[in-house]
Amino acid sequence: MPVIEVKDVEVCYGDLKALNGVSCCIEGGTVGLLGPNGAGKSTLLKTLLGFNRASQGEVRVFDRLLPKEALAVRMQLGYMPEREVTSPKVSAVSFITYCGRLFGMSRVDAMERTHEVLNYVGLGEARYRKMETYSTGMLQRVKLAQALVHDPKLLLLDEPTNGLDPQGRIEMLELIREVAARRRVTIILSSHLLPDVQHVCDSLILIQGGVVARAGSISELTAVLDRCYEVRIRDNKENFVTGLSSAGFTWIDQQDGNLFITTPEQTDPKSIFEIAHQHSTQIRHYRPARHSLAEVFIQAAAKEE
Amino acid sequence: MPIYEQTYRHYEGEMRRRFRWAIIVEQELRVLAKAKPFLMLLLVALLHCILRLLQVVAFDVVIQDPNNPLTPLLNQIQGIMVREQMFFDFLRIQTPLVFLIALYAGSGMICNDMNNNLMDVYFSKPIRWYDYVLGKVLSLTAVGLSITALPAIALVILHNLLAPSMKLLTESWFWPVSILAFSLVIVLPMALSIPAASALLRSQNYAAIVIVMIPVACSAMAGVLAAVLQDRNYLIISFPMAVNRIGQYLFHDRHLLFDSHWLWSMLFVGGTCLVCLWIIVHKVRRSEVAA
Repeated sequence: MPVIEVKDVEVCYGDLKALNGVSCCIEGGTVGLLGPNGAGKSTLLKTLLGFNRASQGEVRVFDRLLPKEALAVRMQLGYMPEREVTSPKVSAVSFITYCGRLFGMSRVDAMERTHEVLNYVGLGEARYRKMETYSTGMLQRVKLAQALVHDPKLLLLDEPTNGLDPQGRIEMLELIREVAARRRVTIILSSHLLPDVQHVCDSLILIQGGVVARAGSISELTAVLDRCYEVRIRDNKENFVTGLSSAGFTWIDQQDGNLFITTPEQTDPKSIFEIAHQHSTQIRHYRPARHSLAEVFIQAAAKEE
Repeated sequence: MPIYEQTYRHYEGEMRRRFRWAIIVEQELRVLAKAKPFLMLLLVALLHCILRLLQVVAFDVVIQDPNNPLTPLLNQIQGIMVREQMFFDFLRIQTPLVFLIALYAGSGMICNDMNNNLMDVYFSKPIRWYDYVLGKVLSLTAVGLSITALPAIALVILHNLLAPSMKLLTESWFWPVSILAFSLVIVLPMALSIPAASALLRSQNYAAIVIVMIPVACSAMAGVLAAVLQDRNYLIISFPMAVNRIGQYLFHDRHLLFDSHWLWSMLFVGGTCLVCLWIIVHKVRRSEVAA
């Protein structure tokens, strides 16, 4: 049974079609929802929460129809919104306990669980301070804690690294990876940051202009390119590339200093090493070239336009 | 080394599925109870209750005892008699305090949740808009009734307990009903209008200013109309006057300022409550159902 099943869903804000016939099926794992700003990622997440009513199509989460069975779905779902969330006059402990209680936990259970998740997200003694004193990173942790407090089976994370410094971003991504890896929690991570998605997710859904432009596992989408290699050499670059050209290879000098080499048909890639040897240079890096997520993203965007 | 594993654990407890609005009420009261201005206002309201308590005790224990040496002294104090009118006065004096407390507690109730982006978080939990609205409105109602109906009914009970005969019980059995009804007439419009302003405006201060200005403006307009057109019935336009008129009916007070039937006042107050409720529902529902 798929965790999420979306069939031909259309969501409108007035005259604007935010989702225009979105269909996707998520079986589990960590799924990245990728797309530029305004593509419809947050709208899709809100539709999965039952906030948005689809004017057409069908949304099922855990085989429950939305928005009709939204309450039952929300019992098993944790949501970390994109925007900064704070309850300034209360402490994180009080806020998370309250969130736990809204799920129906008893006060004692909610309190116990609150301390567990706050430990887990790494909010130390600051948990007893009023939330108005928290930094952005701490508020992000609180947002994640409130989504985890009831032990959800599905976690919807909307731009979880927003506003975080590089260290905080890495910590947040590691935390999300840890949640996904340790327990059977399906995670939908919405982001427009490709490295975040690549770092955490197994598969992705690329949304562009309210439709699904590409979907599949990251390894599939970033498959090895046929006859293409990334090579970095030590010196004699000019001689080496002249040798490549005369042997029928095509090459592109990349920004990072690597050469993107395409071998002619029916040519053994080993000949790259032979050419390097002939031109007295050393190959310091060699690997089959892959599609990058950025390329997938740009291609999908170009296709849409 | 931690004393227990600080890692993600599955929750194995049970989830209660009903009365989630009660949790919202509880949380609102919990947060309010930690606010010093709220406690100060509550203390002032309680002081009035204590004074009335002393009045009841003085009347029942001292004045009704002809042998008590303090009786002639206390008899000279006007308004010390514990009658239906006393409870009406008690509630009328509590009204500005209820207003201030409700203003403090309620003016930021919804707009702060919206400004702090808490609506998305709350509605991602298994609560519906009506749980949220009920929780917010009932928390203000509970605060209001705790300084109006609750002490007043307690005073009626005390009065009956201290009374020398059961005769008083037959005279006063409906007082608690009148007290509760009038308290609701005082508290409910505040418990609805203040969150409505809070839902409508994105600032706690603006909401508070608007709520203060509305009764002032309508009272001023009522006074001007009554004076210009020389008809006191226009005083019904003043919201405080309309509330007072209902109180006069409930407590059989004959010092009427205007002759309009109390049902018109009730209609005005009820209509205002319905409009406020509609505003709250409309705004809060939009937070849950975005498109």
